[in-house]
Amino acid sequence: MDNNQSESILKVSDLCVQYGTFKAVKEVSFDVRKGEIFGLLGPNGAGKTSTLSAIEGLIKYQSGTVIVDGHNAKEKPLYARAAMGVQLQSTSFQSELKVSEILQLFAGIYGVKLTNEKLTAILKDISLEDAAGKRFGQLSGGQQQRVSLVISTIHNPRLVLLDEPTTGLDPQSRRQLWERIEAIRERGHAVVLTTHSMEEAESVCDRIGIIDHGKMITIDTPQALIEKHKNDPEVIAVSRKGRVTLEDVFIALTGKEVRA
Amino acid sequence: MEETIIPKTSTVLAALLKADFTTLWRNRRAVVLVFLVPIVILVSWKGLVEKMGGAFALSNSLTYGLIAIGLMGYTNSIARDRDKGIFQRLRVAPAPNWTIMMSRIFVQLSMIALVTTAIFVVGFDYDKITLTPAGYALTYLTAIVGGAVYLALGQVIVGLIKNPETVNSTSRLVYFTFVIVGMFGGMGMLGKQVEQMTQWSPYGTVKTIMAAGMIPGSWTMDTTNALLVTVGYTIVFAVIGIKNFKWNTK
Repeated sequence: MDNNQSESILKVSDLCVQYGTFKAVKEVSFDVRKGEIFGLLGPNGAGKTSTLSAIEGLIKYQSGTVIVDGHNAKEKPLYARAAMGVQLQSTSFQSELKVSEILQLFAGIYGVKLTNEKLTAILKDISLEDAAGKRFGQLSGGQQQRVSLVISTIHNPRLVLLDEPTTGLDPQSRRQLWERIEAIRERGHAVVLTTHSMEEAESVCDRIGIIDHGKMITIDTPQALIEKHKNDPEVIAVSRKGRVTLEDVFIALTGKEVRA
Repeated sequence: MEETIIPKTSTVLAALLKADFTTLWRNRRAVVLVFLVPIVILVSWKGLVEKMGGAFALSNSLTYGLIAIGLMGYTNSIARDRDKGIFQRLRVAPAPNWTIMMSRIFVQLSMIALVTTAIFVVGFDYDKITLTPAGYALTYLTAIVGGAVYLALGQVIVGLIKNPETVNSTSRLVYFTFVIVGMFGGMGMLGKQVEQMTQWSPYGTVKTIMAAGMIPGSWTMDTTNALLVTVGYTIVFAVIGIKNFKWNTK
């Protein structure tokens, strides 16, 4: 890793999130560096979305610290939110608004001046130049994800958080979205994404953190994780393709039982 | 480290207001329904204007309009957008939470001004009801104060109920209760006790201050008491509604 990548854009330390008596996130710590795509993996209900929601400021966390681009998210929430771009798991916009109006709304909220030329350029970049006058609900799933992603980066944030960005997309749209996420990294931004796709994690992420029952089990590069665990009896037992994959390591670490 | 820029609150509010007014404009069919009930009442009560006075007809009609805005317009739009996750998307941006709600409330206050104007126009055109300039001005103010009660009551409904369908049916039920009990109870058709209860209910106090606002010379101590009770209702409803409000339905 070069010096450019060593700068920490997101630092999460001992994060605890609790809903009533249920502890959803237990002392989770990790950092994400400049120019890095960090994948947060875990079974359903493991605490991925709760961790992201705490970073985004959508839920209050009981203890721990979240530092976004040098801003403590609890002490300076607006600064932390201004430094990050977010794509939520199920993003929806006012169904009455057209795509161009949604872009203008979020440009205004992030304090970005959006001229007609700039708006056209953005739409052209996501191959939606003909969809400016369409309502968000009239777009296909892939088009909606592209609009959603471009909105999360409209203010050129240092940190981009993507919660299961490729769920429900066809392979073509998914590949295209991966390229867009990689382009964000090339521009020097840090990206955190959650996913259930091991293929996605292996292809796109520089490092991954596996979270289960609210605890961070391990953090490493996909290849290093496979190397580290490839001879574990549990991993070999679940391996299906004659070679150990990230999915085998994931299943061995988090268990075979289906989560709700 | 690059400097993080926080957008000006005025810029954020302007963007939210533009989007919320556009949404309102695209929903103009629903807006027409808000105008419909008070105008139908005003038109059908033509015979009562001579007997009870123009202020009586206008204040009743306007009260129904305000109830419709607060209970049907505001409540349902908040419940629907919350269920769709629209608020959560706005909340992850550097927009203070209060700006999101302030924009919504401002749109509803504009609706109140519009409904008030429409009722004045129909009242003048159809029933030949005219007020003094001071009466018109004071009625706009009392309509805002009265409208605030129903917006706050709407906030109680979305604060206590998460499901948008249940919010919809509850707000309709409360709306029709207000209309029926207000109309018949206020006229004494349901007995003296109900008439008195109606007089000091959110329906009655709003109607009282609006009727007095239309004829400023008729403002009495009872009107001042009604104004204080109206403000009291607004505070209580707003506190309950805001305290219990959740930004998402999960």
